Amino acid sequence: MKNTYMTIISELIRFMLSVFLLSVLVFTMSRLAPGDPLYAYYGDRVEKMSLEEQEAARERLGLDASIPVQYMRWLKGAVRGDFGISYKYKRDVKEVIAERIGNTLLLGGLGFVIIFILALLLGLFCAWREEKPADRIVCGIGTVTSCIPEFWLSLLLILVFSVWLGWLPSAGAYTVGMDKNLADRGRHLILPLTVVVLGHLWYYAYLVRNRLLEETRADYVLLARMKGLSGKQVLYRHCLPNALPSYLSMMAIALPHILGGAYVVETVFSYPGIGTLAYESARYQDYNLLMVVSLMTGVLVIFGNMLARLLNGHIDPRTDRRAGAFRGEADGL
Amino acid sequence: MDVLTVKNLSVSFYRPSCEIEAVKNASFSLQPGEILVIMGDTGCGKSVLCKSIVRLLPDIARIKSGQILFQGKDITHYSEREMQKLRGNAFSMVFQNPMTALNPCMSVGAQIAEAVRLRKPQIARKELQDEVAGLMELVGLDCPEKQAKQYPHQFSGGMAQRCVTAIALAADPDVLFADEPTTALDGEMQEQILELFLKLREKLGMAVIFITHNPHVAARIADRAALMRAGEIYRIGDAEEILEKHIYDNYQ
Repeated sequence: MKNTYMTIISELIRFMLSVFLLSVLVFTMSRLAPGDPLYAYYGDRVEKMSLEEQEAARERLGLDASIPVQYMRWLKGAVRGDFGISYKYKRDVKEVIAERIGNTLLLGGLGFVIIFILALLLGLFCAWREEKPADRIVCGIGTVTSCIPEFWLSLLLILVFSVWLGWLPSAGAYTVGMDKNLADRGRHLILPLTVVVLGHLWYYAYLVRNRLLEETRADYVLLARMKGLSGKQVLYRHCLPNALPSYLSMMAIALPHILGGAYVVETVFSYPGIGTLAYESARYQDYNLLMVVSLMTGVLVIFGNMLARLLNGHIDPRTDRRAGAFRGEADGL
Repeated sequence: MDVLTVKNLSVSFYRPSCEIEAVKNASFSLQPGEILVIMGDTGCGKSVLCKSIVRLLPDIARIKSGQILFQGKDITHYSEREMQKLRGNAFSMVFQNPMTALNPCMSVGAQIAEAVRLRKPQIARKELQDEVAGLMELVGLDCPEKQAKQYPHQFSGGMAQRCVTAIALAADPDVLFADEPTTALDGEMQEQILELFLKLREKLGMAVIFITHNPHVAARIADRAALMRAGEIYRIGDAEEILEKHIYDNYQ
């Protein structure tokens, strides 16, 4: 029990430290990047402002101090839950993000879950039918779909399903005035979700397939087959648990990758999510918004890695860092 | 009646550019309760010979000709499903490297239990645990209750080899194939494992095909011995006589 508490505490410390370092990095890099945040706040009016007016505006926005001072100010506010205002939207950053995060979580989250499950199933199927026609067909289709760029596939789908067939909407997250209608939201989600899933699915399915095939060549497979297990049983009972830890770690790292993919798709489909915000905040030097969006993505990555580590410890006892696991306290026959 | 007879068995590996004959016209027979040692240099085809009998060859290898008779029945052309029934029932195997032969993600007890359950699908949980503990005791693991819950990486090489042997014994086999089970172990551990095999043969009466390239190991355990070279069995007979000739030949 003591070990579990120690693990949780050490994981928490690592988590806080990682978030702190990330915030320092993003803060410094965004301020060192070329561009003037006053453009985000005042638009083209900046060009008509005198130097004194620009200085006064910078002072008002707190952009006049040195980077460490600005960071300390930001950190003090952030600890209290105040992340400042968005220069572009002139509203509290939290409000701007709260409006859109649901849409991104729906698209990216759902996409991630679908990719996670489908990649595992496809990988298992291909490994089971290794080098047989079914495996070759799936590999062929997968390779082709994964090579299509996301923005091109998005445009193609819009052209076919929205313009020619008129079956599905081409933009937005819902029809104006129908934001509570689930069916309408679902219809708006189909095309972007298809692009997010197709863009990543095969890459991970192929990795699962190859990882499993690597495992089928391991010595313990011979012993399992010698017990009288069939090839399929060996694959599910023995190879899969050995391939899972690396798949979980990979998927944890893939989380921001897939979300990043969703960001691109959001832009093409004018889907009001964090992706569009991330793009705008970086483009217009909307520092406060950029900080929160980057930190949110970073926290997600760190959390994903932590989760993968904990899960791996349960699947593969060799990666369990709890001291007890090495004294034979792991359970079950 | 012989428990296993192999007649003129030839096994080849087919590569796109060539065919490699790994076993050529191998013939031998095995009596119940007998220990036959197959000896030869690394790469001479000992393991391929055994794996072709239990049909655990890689995809590119095939039995080219010959016959394998198990208790008088020709099993050469058995389907994979029929062979599955024989493996884990009539045949068992102990492998060379116990640390890689065990699944690292499964507790040792679960791996032994799996083998028992395959032979007795209806076995009750308590009975299963007792049988696992019994097998672990039989191979000389002292605290079965505690050790059953441990994982392979928590075991030494010798302990792991005992576990692999327990898994092989769970099948209650007629023929046990031991593919260099002592090669990866140090001297003292080797002696303990050989002692274990002799004890088990006496207790359970199974026939053993024991592969080794070590004449001392062969002399310690064999009833009969077969010598292999480049895929061929070139000498087979009474262990003492064959090994004496082998040592004399080597000395020459």
